[in-house]
Amino acid sequence: MADPYKPRAPFAPWDRRQLPGLFDVEESARRVGNYKWAEMKLFETLGGWVATVPELDVKMRLGAHCYHHAWHAELWHKRLPELREMNPERLTQPANEAMVRFVQVLAEPEAAEHTIEKLVGVYRVFIPHFIAAYTFHRNNTSEITDAPTIRSLDFALRDEFEDWRDGEMMLQSLIETPEEVDRAAAHQARLEKIMLEAGGIAGPGTIGGV
Amino acid sequence: MRKFFPVEELARDSRFTQINMRQAEADPRTAMVGPNAAKRAKVNRLTPARPDASEAARNLMHGIFVGEIQALEGAGRTCHDFELPDPKNGGATDTVPFALKLDMARQAWDESRHVEISVKLGDWMGSEIGQFAENTVLFEAACSTDPVMRLAGVNRALEGLAIDVFTTMKEFGEIAGDPYLEFCEDWMLADEVTHVKMGSDWLRKVTENDPERRAKALEFQSIVDRLFSFGGARSESEDSPIGLARRFRELAGFTTDEVDDIADVSLAALEARKAFSAAAMAEKP
Repeated sequence: MADPYKPRAPFAPWDRRQLPGLFDVEESARRVGNYKWAEMKLFETLGGWVATVPELDVKMRLGAHCYHHAWHAELWHKRLPELREMNPERLTQPANEAMVRFVQVLAEPEAAEHTIEKLVGVYRVFIPHFIAAYTFHRNNTSEITDAPTIRSLDFALRDEFEDWRDGEMMLQSLIETPEEVDRAAAHQARLEKIMLEAGGIAGPGTIGGV
Repeated sequence: MRKFFPVEELARDSRFTQINMRQAEADPRTAMVGPNAAKRAKVNRLTPARPDASEAARNLMHGIFVGEIQALEGAGRTCHDFELPDPKNGGATDTVPFALKLDMARQAWDESRHVEISVKLGDWMGSEIGQFAENTVLFEAACSTDPVMRLAGVNRALEGLAIDVFTTMKEFGEIAGDPYLEFCEDWMLADEVTHVKMGSDWLRKVTENDPERRAKALEFQSIVDRLFSFGGARSESEDSPIGLARRFRELAGFTTDEVDDIADVSLAALEARKAFSAAAMAEKP
């Protein structure tokens, strides 16, 4: 049997985690507050759309996805006090005015005939931007000091990837004509332009480069 | 997207036919009085012994299916229709706490699974989507524009009805020797008890310092409960296909007095239904 008192390296040879990270406590908290605001707006919109969508399979998926994003909002709500923000509402904010406009335009389609626009906004624009923001945060924050945020990011990312796949497949099955391809592309471009102005879910620098 | 979605616009595909409560109660095929009443069984409770048990069970399962769609829509709308409290205006009564919204999102997922389960059970029982009409009274009555009333309407009245329906259907599966049906109903019943408990807890919490508002909400719930007794379709009388699940209701936070009240309201609704049907039949040429 191995000697339990033999000194061992505190980090096993296969554990390559690094201490340095791009974000200090304040920056991590600011981003987390932006994520919570965005996840809240998304789950509220998905919940509202359930009644407006006639396609039964889409209606059921929106109900399930609504909860995924509510759960992410809850994870961020619980993380904020651990990042020294004892009043989580203070940091539960949009990154900027363009993000507010983005959510307004995202939630605009209501008519039963606009399922394509609803799904495009969520699955071709908003969720890919969540994946980008979360991936950047996950790969650039300190793997040791900010490990609780990374754990939540990993849970959220898993949902985002699976929901994106669900949404993209629903869209591909709904788009049947060249005109519908144009409709989808036009709505995507409209939203992407506003997101470009916003600089991403956490504002300029969401995925670095500032 | 608007706040407060009108019931007439609930989106459905072409298989569905929506009707309201008045149309449902005037349907001569299910009237408790008039020429067809004699053809009805003496004991109306849904059991496998009824000669029309298969068709009645399919009908009830389709009712569960469309009811779950409306419950899904109701929970989703609660996530969307109400704002969070503004710290500058803490006393606003048209807002809901963040944690309540999270519970409603969870409920939306649960109801979405219930729709999935109901579709598969309907298929198992040999019915098709749209085979029976959809009565939209659940969404119409429960989805108040006041958040506390909505809690009472959706989580206590509508989900309470679901407890009664699932208990009846679970017993039906048990007696009929259908473990598939019994298994699924038992799982859905567990979720519904959770939803009613959520409603009971939130109602108590949100109206903690406002007894008048709580009383109004409970009064609203009583009105909705009367409606959801579907003219006696749910009561402790053997005349009603659906029983009242006392034990599960108590698990979900209803007091014995409250269950007694629902029992009384349901019986009164049964009598009112008979009178309504008689009047509706008399109006027909």
